[in-house]
Amino acid sequence: MDEQIGKEVIVTENLKKTYHDNGIPVYAVRGVDLTITRGEFTAIMGPSGSGKTTLLNLISGLDTPTEGKVWLNSKLVSEMTGNELSDFRRDNIGFIFQAYNLIPVLTVEENVEYIMLLQGVPPEERHKRVLKILEEVGLVEMIDRKPPQLSGGQQQRVAVARAMVAKPAIILADEPTANLDSETSGELLDMMRKLNESTGMTFLFSSHDPIVIQRARRVITLTDGKISNDKIKR
Amino acid sequence: MIFKFAYRNILRQKRRTFFTIMTMTVGFTLAAIIIGWTDGSYNLIIEKFTRAYLGHIQIHYQDYLEQPTLYKNIDNYREVGKKLDELQTAESWAPRLYAAGLVSVGEKSTVGQIIGIDPILENKATGFHKQVKKGKTISKTPAKQVVIGKVLAKTLNASIGDTLYIVSQAADGSIANDMYKIIGIVESDDQMKDRMAIYMHLYDAQKLMVLENRVHEIVVMVEDINKVDEVVSQIENSLNNSQLNVLPWMEVNKSFYATMQMDKESNNILSYVVMLIVGIGVLNTVLMAVLERTREFGVLKALGTRPLQIFILIIVEVLIMTIASIVLGAILGTAANYALSHYGIKMPVSYDLAGVTFDTLISEVNLKSIVFPSVLVILAALLVSLFPAVYAAKTEPAKTMRFH
Ligand SMILES: Nc1ncnc2c1ncn2[C@@H]1O[C@H](COP(=O)(O)OP(=O)(O)O)[C@@H](O)[C@H]1O
Ligand SMILES: [Mg+2]
Repeated sequence: MDEQIGKEVIVTENLKKTYHDNGIPVYAVRGVDLTITRGEFTAIMGPSGSGKTTLLNLISGLDTPTEGKVWLNSKLVSEMTGNELSDFRRDNIGFIFQAYNLIPVLTVEENVEYIMLLQGVPPEERHKRVLKILEEVGLVEMIDRKPPQLSGGQQQRVAVARAMVAKPAIILADEPTANLDSETSGELLDMMRKLNESTGMTFLFSSHDPIVIQRARRVITLTDGKISNDKIKR
Repeated sequence: MIFKFAYRNILRQKRRTFFTIMTMTVGFTLAAIIIGWTDGSYNLIIEKFTRAYLGHIQIHYQDYLEQPTLYKNIDNYREVGKKLDELQTAESWAPRLYAAGLVSVGEKSTVGQIIGIDPILENKATGFHKQVKKGKTISKTPAKQVVIGKVLAKTLNASIGDTLYIVSQAADGSIANDMYKIIGIVESDDQMKDRMAIYMHLYDAQKLMVLENRVHEIVVMVEDINKVDEVVSQIENSLNNSQLNVLPWMEVNKSFYATMQMDKESNNILSYVVMLIVGIGVLNTVLMAVLERTREFGVLKALGTRPLQIFILIIVEVLIMTIASIVLGAILGTAANYALSHYGIKMPVSYDLAGVTFDTLISEVNLKSIVFPSVLVILAALLVSLFPAVYAAKTEPAKTMRFH
């Protein structure tokens, strides 16, 4: 494991995405070359419409690039399709979305174990891992609740637990605090950073919220679909 | 897990689920009643028709049925009867002799059909005595008595106690004529018989037509009408006589059988219409359930759920509702058919089918009235769910989860 530290988790090469809005081309991502290495805790910063969501979707294979390539764990994600892509995401990427992350009819435990269920992890093992991760995000006592019975911050913490529980190569979070107040946002980011430090898992998230940005260790600034700044703190 | 998930999903919109299940249940129940009623009614007609006269199986000499003549007769019918008695599956049998003749009472005369019967055997097979609505039935020993059809009696202006003259040509070419005492009037469900029939003791008829020991027809009643074809081959094997033609009722009266089949088919169409309505109801529900959950399907797919797994989830949700409906519908439908089989509904107008009068709705509890609607409901539900399920499976997370 340790020898992998410093290894590349994500590599993009001349990544471009052009949408067509009623025939008018929209250049959402315009040639991004990006490398994320193992253990990073990196924020993509930029105003609304700068291409953050598009870039993250291209990295995860939720969207296909118009041009360029994406490697995740040395696999060419940008050329995967169908079940191969589904299974690859299941095994390699943890997602935290802005909102509506959790399946409302499933309990916290069921939401968190969902990916392991898809992977075919045996029940006892699933339960053990769910308990451990819920402990880390401080929600063990909520294990049997359903998402509507949780606060927004708690829901996002469950989403973090779900993203991490299957130990993916990277955790992608598109504006994870967009629906939270600033105090809760800070707490969520502190928790994520702590988990990053304790587990060594790689986090890549987008935001335009200073509370989030200030907690990142590397900040990539996106302007009009291009990286305009990339700095590692300290 | 998928069942638990699907089950919770259908409980999300309890009211909608309830109405969907109710729609399917009502559709199922209607289809079950239509089938139970169709089968019940037609089996009743068939039973009535065959019991009253036709019999379940008929035996004739060669092609008597197609081209009846006095001379195509069965010699020594008692021997045939003995073999029929030995067959467990044959419940009863009765011999008949047919002849046409000019009949008159007083000044009035007309053409009639002389039917020689064995009163005891005929009664066992077709309940002949019960059809004699006025007067007495033919006595066990031959006594030159006749029982005539109701309409014929009217035509001849005859009443019980009158003397009936018959003139015909006997089998040996001689003139057959004799006098008989009318002792009873027959009223059956068969209009033809009411108009034409003159029943007399078989022995009297044989003597009149100079056909001693001979009959034209032997009818056989079987224990189970559904096994009539098997009994036909059993009789054929047992008789081992290529001159004798053994036929089930379906072939004896082809047009009656065809009418029955056609009416059954046309009633099946009703079931299809019911299922079409059910299908539309289910389609509405599944479409709504899928459309309001596109975000969720987006999340599930982003997390690595395969399209097929989403497809299956939707189908399982529909199947759970379908199975609930089938269980409910089977209970309701069977109860309704059971009630209708015990307390038939009297119809406002009676109608005639193949000469049999029919005036009561009678249902029947059978396996088909559960299996057929089940298949229909499942097919209808699955068919309309295919499109929404494929739609859900194809959800593109990047599109459905965009927030602006
Ligand atoms: N499906 C789409 N069709 C057309 N234009 C799109 C689509 N998705 C995104 N865009 C456009 O691409 C640009 C980048 O959007 P996005 O990646 O959502 O930026 P951000 O997440 O930084 O707000 C915007 O101008 C947006 O309107
Ligand atoms: Mg965005």
